Amino acid sequence: MSREEEQRLIARVVAGEPAATRELLESYQGAVYAFALRLAGDAALAEDIQQETFLSALRGASSFRAEGSLKGWLLTIARREALAQLRRRHDTPTEPESLESLGVSAGWGAGSPEDTMDEREQQQQMERALGLLSPPDREVLLLRDIEGLSGEETAAALGLPLAAMKSRLHRARLRLVAALRGDTTEDPHGRA
Amino acid sequence: MEEREVAGLRCSAVLELLSDYLDGELAPEARAGVEAHVAGCNVCERFGARFAAAVQTLRKLPAPAGQEGAADRLKARLGSR
Repeated sequence: MSREEEQRLIARVVAGEPAATRELLESYQGAVYAFALRLAGDAALAEDIQQETFLSALRGASSFRAEGSLKGWLLTIARREALAQLRRRHDTPTEPESLESLGVSAGWGAGSPEDTMDEREQQQQMERALGLLSPPDREVLLLRDIEGLSGEETAAALGLPLAAMKSRLHRARLRLVAALRGDTTEDPHGRA
Repeated sequence: MEEREVAGLRCSAVLELLSDYLDGELAPEARAGVEAHVAGCNVCERFGARFAAAVQTLRKLPAPAGQEGAADRLKARLGSR
């Protein structure tokens, strides 16, 4: 959907056109649910976040500005809903760590494990590794790498300057590689 | 991790630039510097390949299953507003 089409769709939503609301849901409910599920790690919570996101989006549709994408706007709302829910459950601040030590944890300088996993196994391993990360690491990876928002949109969704978002993204990717490495190392089938 | 300097760049400098390299956000000169280092440093070549493969797998993850019920309940909730 082009930016112009997104703007037209939102204008129809604001005008109260039921078909436009249906189109909005059908186009973005999957991305919002997947984002919420991976960020919150719980299907029931993901449904709550998805519902609150669309309720909030429909209430505030007139506030949508076309500088960013509609998907970016919806995921920004979903992130806010998710963090509010997660804050109620637990807080997991990320410890500051040097880039080198993150790299070493990720296997920088170590030998390369033999890769014998098929695509499905790699995806399952990736989902497990994502689940091990802190919410701040997970959300930047979800927005930028999985949902494919631009760097600027991801930074805006996180409320960060672009340089700070990029730094967080790089560290999150290193922690993800470290988590994958831990998963491979602990593989009971001895693939490490 | 034993640091080396190859093609005028230390391994730690390459580590710092990996995401920008992967995202195509390095200036041509910096990009060429990373490529020259990696061509002469098997440690960074190995790690860079693993890092890039992980990001590629992440980017291609399929949507999680089990959304059908959620979609129905979402429509019902919005429909009852």
